[in-house]
Amino acid sequence: MITVEGLTKKYGSTVAVDDLSFTVEPGVVTGFLGPNGSGKSTTMRCMIGLDRAQSGRALFDGKPYSSLRLPLHEVGTLLDAGNAHASRTARNHLRWVATSNGMPVKRVDEVLEIVGLQQVAKKRVGQFSLGMKQRLGIASVLLGDPRVVILDEPANGLDPEGIRWIREMLRHLATRGRAVLVSSHLLSEMALIADSLVVIGKGRLIEQCTVDQFISRHAKKWVVVRSPQLGTLVDLARAKGMQVVTNENTAEVHGVESAVVGELAAGNGIVLHELSTQTGSLEDAFLEATAMSVEYHGRSEAPE
Amino acid sequence: MIATIRSEWIKLRTVRSNVTTAIVATVISLAISLLSVTFMGESNIDSGTLPGLIVGWGPVAVLLIGVIGVLCITQEYSQGTIRLTLVATPSRLRVYLAKAVVVATVGAALTGAIVLLGNVVGSAIIDARDVPALDSNPDATPAFLAMILMGTVVAMLGMAIGALTRNPPSAITILVLWPLLVEGIVGGLISLALDDDVARWMPFQSGLISLSLELPEDGFGRWGSLGYFAAWVLFVSLIAERSLKRRDA
Repeated sequence: MITVEGLTKKYGSTVAVDDLSFTVEPGVVTGFLGPNGSGKSTTMRCMIGLDRAQSGRALFDGKPYSSLRLPLHEVGTLLDAGNAHASRTARNHLRWVATSNGMPVKRVDEVLEIVGLQQVAKKRVGQFSLGMKQRLGIASVLLGDPRVVILDEPANGLDPEGIRWIREMLRHLATRGRAVLVSSHLLSEMALIADSLVVIGKGRLIEQCTVDQFISRHAKKWVVVRSPQLGTLVDLARAKGMQVVTNENTAEVHGVESAVVGELAAGNGIVLHELSTQTGSLEDAFLEATAMSVEYHGRSEAPE
Repeated sequence: MIATIRSEWIKLRTVRSNVTTAIVATVISLAISLLSVTFMGESNIDSGTLPGLIVGWGPVAVLLIGVIGVLCITQEYSQGTIRLTLVATPSRLRVYLAKAVVVATVGAALTGAIVLLGNVVGSAIIDARDVPALDSNPDATPAFLAMILMGTVVAMLGMAIGALTRNPPSAITILVLWPLLVEGIVGGLISLALDDDVARWMPFQSGLISLSLELPEDGFGRWGSLGYFAAWVLFVSLIAERSLKRRDA
């Protein structure tokens, strides 16, 4: 399990991470969400001691990263799949990583097989596609069979098959009791991968909760109605002060429960062909929650 | 520590450009010395010729070995592997020491190979030519030993400069310009101002003096000169290690 306590990182006068605290529990996949530039990668680098935080700390099962003697056996990290020398072969890349933590070469061949790279083990990393590099990165995470896994944007640039592979790998790790922290700006992906969320904006914690809680708290809800007498119903609803948006042959009623709309229709003898509640996606909830914190608001309404 | 050293050794030898640099460093200085004894006039060959050629081309070999020191750390930054290195070994002091052990050993091994091959092959060439039997030169062995130590020290200097600049071209430029240009200009200016020859106070010049067969009268002597240079390299290394510890990776 990971405990982050009051982490603060400044670059000059810019505060990248601001008094951030959260926990990552074993057995679940925790999504680390935030708009671009919100401090996700900086947080991860500070957690594992690559960048020095001005204050605060991150503990892995109670211990700071710097005190781990053979860290790869306890924490597996993938920050950037490009962090491999282009002219080394995949196998040699994993060999130096494994050797540094006292693991035998046999383990290298095992993880190459797990991630499906055994055919290209003797190819140079420079010839790898992004997807293959991502698999190589995952292989280095798996080397020490760690209890904690930290991945920064692992689905970045992957094709749908690669994304599904990552998703299944993370699910599998969580099922085996690992604590998994994965950042992503592919929010729809996050809804499928993560059980729990840590949402940050401008380096500050916005919310830590489950995915469902997050959506129900932040996502908009509205009622969709379809009716042969749509115009009458819309007029009635507007007369009651409801906010209505009309489409070609449906209308969206905002700010009320479906029951209210149903009763209004029944009371006026209006036939309904559809009456349903729609919930906004995780993207909408995310935008809603982080809208205040997006650094360059006008420039990017939606994080890419 | 042993695991970190082994890991650093795998890193160094699994990148082709490092191996190429090592081969070039060895072959260039060997080839020049051996071609010289092959083609120089027989009457000019005496007991100081072969050792003089080997240590005379020593500075070239030693600087190329310094480039290996530069590469072993700067390529970690240019390729991003430094992050993985520090994730695998959070103690930056241990990473620095392990790298230093590896490049110092490689530096000693390569200069050692140059000295050994140069002597064996060079003597065979001289023997095959029509030259009267030569006495052994008493200054040769200490000069060869100094060259091997210079290989070690300059490899560590290259690594220290690399750790400070984190960028291969600038580190190599500094490594090469330091002895060739900076010390010449600074030393020249100070000598003019003080009306005294200060070459022996210039760190790299001092180190290279230790490679001479015949030492200048007023210097620190062979081991003094080498020790003076090594002290400078230790100083730069301490700054480099501190920088590695303090700066974000």
